[in-house]
Amino acid sequence: MKHLLSNESKGPVGLIVSVIVLIVVFSFLNPRFASVENLQNVLFQSSVPLIIVVGATLVIIMGSIDLSVQGVMGAAGMAWILITPNTRTELDYGAWAWVIALATGVLLGLFAGLIYDKLKVPSFVATLGTWYVGLGIGIMLYGNGLLPSLTNETLARWPTRLSLGIPNSFWLAAAVLLLGVLIMNYTRFGRGLLAIGNNEIIARSSGIRVSRYKILALSIAGGLSALAGILATMQLGSGSSDIGSTQLFTVIPAAVIGGTALSGGEGGIMRSALGVFLLIILNNGLVLAGVSPNYQQGVFGLILIIAVVTVAWPHRSRLKVAK
Amino acid sequence: MNVKSLLLAGVSASVVAGAAFAAPVAKEDMVLVVSVINTTNPYMISNIEGGKALSEELGIPLEIVNSNGSSQTEIAGIMSILASGKTPIMFVNTVASSDAPTIVDAVKQAGGYVTIWWNKPADYKPQDVGDNFVAFQKIPGLSSGACGAKAIAEAIGGKGNVVLLPGVPDSTTSKTRVAGFRAEIEANWPDITILDERPSNWDPQLGARNAQDLIVKYGDQINGVWSADDGMQIGAMQSFENAGLLDKVKFASDGLYPKTLEDLQSGRGNNAIVGETFHRGYMASAVGLYTAYLAATGEIVPSELSDDKRESLFQLSCVTPSNYEQYLQYDAPDAPAAFVDRLIANGPWATEPMPLVGGGAAAAAEW
Repeated sequence: MKHLLSNESKGPVGLIVSVIVLIVVFSFLNPRFASVENLQNVLFQSSVPLIIVVGATLVIIMGSIDLSVQGVMGAAGMAWILITPNTRTELDYGAWAWVIALATGVLLGLFAGLIYDKLKVPSFVATLGTWYVGLGIGIMLYGNGLLPSLTNETLARWPTRLSLGIPNSFWLAAAVLLLGVLIMNYTRFGRGLLAIGNNEIIARSSGIRVSRYKILALSIAGGLSALAGILATMQLGSGSSDIGSTQLFTVIPAAVIGGTALSGGEGGIMRSALGVFLLIILNNGLVLAGVSPNYQQGVFGLILIIAVVTVAWPHRSRLKVAK
Repeated sequence: MNVKSLLLAGVSASVVAGAAFAAPVAKEDMVLVVSVINTTNPYMISNIEGGKALSEELGIPLEIVNSNGSSQTEIAGIMSILASGKTPIMFVNTVASSDAPTIVDAVKQAGGYVTIWWNKPADYKPQDVGDNFVAFQKIPGLSSGACGAKAIAEAIGGKGNVVLLPGVPDSTTSKTRVAGFRAEIEANWPDITILDERPSNWDPQLGARNAQDLIVKYGDQINGVWSADDGMQIGAMQSFENAGLLDKVKFASDGLYPKTLEDLQSGRGNNAIVGETFHRGYMASAVGLYTAYLAATGEIVPSELSDDKRESLFQLSCVTPSNYEQYLQYDAPDAPAAFVDRLIANGPWATEPMPLVGGGAAAAAEW
């Protein structure tokens, strides 16, 4: 436990303080902000980006980037809903729907990983291409027909239903988060990713199977994007190839704000998760505080910059995002 | 050759050249083009259907430009079709208002004919550009907002609180719909308060998230939710259902697409949907393309048309749970083809259920 905290807490004290300051200020502006109902709301809204950020962080920590998130979400979400009881098709593959949708994500991740590693194409380009391949699959599955909506009430309600006072979708995200932290801190694979991010040549010469790690990291990220796609589809109750829209621009900034260096070799999953919370709370708080929609984007950006500068100031040499 | 014959030769040459320029384009030299913002939104899919129906009826090939939400992709796609050498007859559902002049200029250079739908800069007028920019057409956003406002206000007994979910904040379509909603409430419903307004970018998920935040903020004070399209409403309704509030709140939006129609028919959430508006993408694209086609064949001369046929507003129908049935016919599988038949019989300005209702002098883009 001590090891876990020491690894994860290098940077995030400032970030935790920022999140707490935001919570206090927003609660002061609107007491409903601190209500149990809003806490559940924030947890619900954080679930999808939290799942994605785990995969994204694994990839960023090894000095690469995964831009395929939204495409993979669209492909997996559409694949899942079309073989789960829905208004368009009469197919019901039960648990196999999950397996097929998750496999779609893993395969897309594998595809990106192989292109990245074997063809020596930068991850930026390999995953950008995969984004469009995924989106293409999603659009193809969407076709020109009716919007597919879930007909199974239990499934449609599952993400919002509370277990021990917390929405199920967050429990799912928390489980993924925990698994991610364990992998990152307690496995050779996790340490290997950090080593690759720090210096790939040294990592390779010290016996780390760099190729295998890179491909595996992107495959895991693909699988997690697929899981996020399924969850987002369940949350909305309907399928769309655009189900992942704007998630990439929540997740990558969240990881960077959390102190995961885009250059690799530094950061942690819990830190990225805090970054997600910061962004979600900021958006939610601005709505509850009644900031005019005309100014919301601008105010969002300003507060974000202030929060990040405050967090980053003592560690400005380590954040390594200004390259 | 003396000066007189030189002059004569010059005059006759210019007459020939002029005649060649104004000569009607032959069918086999034409290509119909439908340019849409994306190919996943039901409205855009319907735009394509209209193009297909007209293409079959007229026997002219059809090309689709999928802009994928990007002005750059849109313009690049259109340019490549213009380079094909055929005369393009175009319907363009512009990604952004500012795309219109670039597209129109390129079409004019290529000798094509274009009708722009929904978005263009207010002061950029077909009359100033020439016959190649045949018309700007749209469904008035003000009426759409007013329909929704009236439906919600009546459903909640003229008293209560509503929240609004506009689309992309700087979209003319969204702005005019919101303005129509506010104007109707201000003019006729003094006991209704607009609590909040959260732009949700035409995105069902963002609609759902914003609705969740608004539920936390206002709880059961919310009596009505208006969305600038029914996609965002699908997200919002899901959030109210999750919060156990769906049967206490009334909803209205613009679109009436299958999922919404189904919820309206089934009376989901204690008849939660009280108002919708009806217009279809295939009608817009068929009318737009057919207007451009008539200009290309010389059957109409755009510069001789009245102003309301250059900057046109077409009828929007207000749909309620009591009259929705009369609109079901327009969603039948053969509806686009049937509409095209009526369009060719009646012309672009007098085809039910979307006849011309106004336009011209006032800036149509602001409506």
